[in-house]
Amino acid sequence: MGVSLSKGGNVSLEKVAPGLTKIVVGLGWDARGTDGAEFDLDASLFQLKADGKVRSDSDFIFYNNPRSAEGAVTHSGDNRTGAGEGDDEQILVDLAKVSAEIGKLAVTVTIHEAEARRQNFGQVSGAFIRIVNGETGQEVARYDLSEEASTETAMVFGEIYRNNNEWKFRAVGQGYNGGLGPLARAYGVNIG
Amino acid sequence: MSVSLSKGGNVSLEKVAPGLTKIVVGLGWDARSTDGTDFDLDASLFELTADGKVRSEADFIFYNNPRSVEEAIVHTGDNRTGAGEGDDEQILVDLAKVPAEIVRLTVAVTIHEADARRQSFGQVSAAFIRVLNGESNEELARYDLSEDASTETAMVFGEIYRNNADWKFRAVGQGYSGGLGALIKQFGLE
Repeated sequence: MGVSLSKGGNVSLEKVAPGLTKIVVGLGWDARGTDGAEFDLDASLFQLKADGKVRSDSDFIFYNNPRSAEGAVTHSGDNRTGAGEGDDEQILVDLAKVSAEIGKLAVTVTIHEAEARRQNFGQVSGAFIRIVNGETGQEVARYDLSEEASTETAMVFGEIYRNNNEWKFRAVGQGYNGGLGPLARAYGVNIG
Repeated sequence: MSVSLSKGGNVSLEKVAPGLTKIVVGLGWDARSTDGTDFDLDASLFELTADGKVRSEADFIFYNNPRSVEEAIVHTGDNRTGAGEGDDEQILVDLAKVPAEIVRLTVAVTIHEADARRQSFGQVSAAFIRVLNGESNEELARYDLSEDASTETAMVFGEIYRNNADWKFRAVGQGYSGGLGALIKQFGLE
């Protein structure tokens, strides 16, 4: 039975699933029912130090950089339409392997070719992010963005972060109108 | 040696800092980097008599009423975005000037236009409220609002109150889902 979060809310992963180290971050959205170009949402993850920045560009995990240096984070691949039930994209995280200097994992979603296709999150339905117990497959926490009408094209869906000695998950749901560029730069990644 | 308080805990200011009369209430948060309306957090203070109410509206100290009648309380101004390091808003308290009939100073923090902007503390990065020894700048207590009050929009942070001959500080950390309106009603204001 997963905890359902509202925007800004947080939950201790240690409390809802004691001893859990392997998690799956699942993202999903509904495939387009109306006419027009498909909604192609791309999940990514930024490994951040205490100052909120990456160590290097290789801390930006996405479909073209699917494994983190320490093997803690693995992106399982690109879904280009949202077709299929459940998670459309998944990022596997082994919390025990996350480097000690990394204090936060920001999970973000961007719309591929948003400008060219003139799409934004407000047009996408059923968008959610959830944390699944990587061992049992049980959903531990969830944040549904389906009620958020938004003109953004790049969004931080949620964060997995260290607080004292526990890992926690926070529902963020905040975005950048400018897309992936400003989002990545805010984390210190050099995006052309 | 600073005393770090958890919710409900209290400390005698006289014991941790004998002779201390000046304290600083500090509020801080990170300016918004994502799109949307800025987060505008406001610190305020209520001067309360023994019946738990203000004497008049003048006892509600906030950015539009920054000096208490006896000048014991001074609000140093409104920060509307959180820009800047350290405390973004401060309320200075001189306990020696608080009139005898005032037995409690309640410190609150609210989000400006929270309902209209659909904001809560959890959406703000690194929001905190704390009490400092006004002379040494040592921190006596601190709440991490983004973490502990994540779905709330108004919170009573703590109280500075008379206990026998001493002033004490109690960490309260109670939220009001009704926001600032519900909070001020409690203290006898409309």
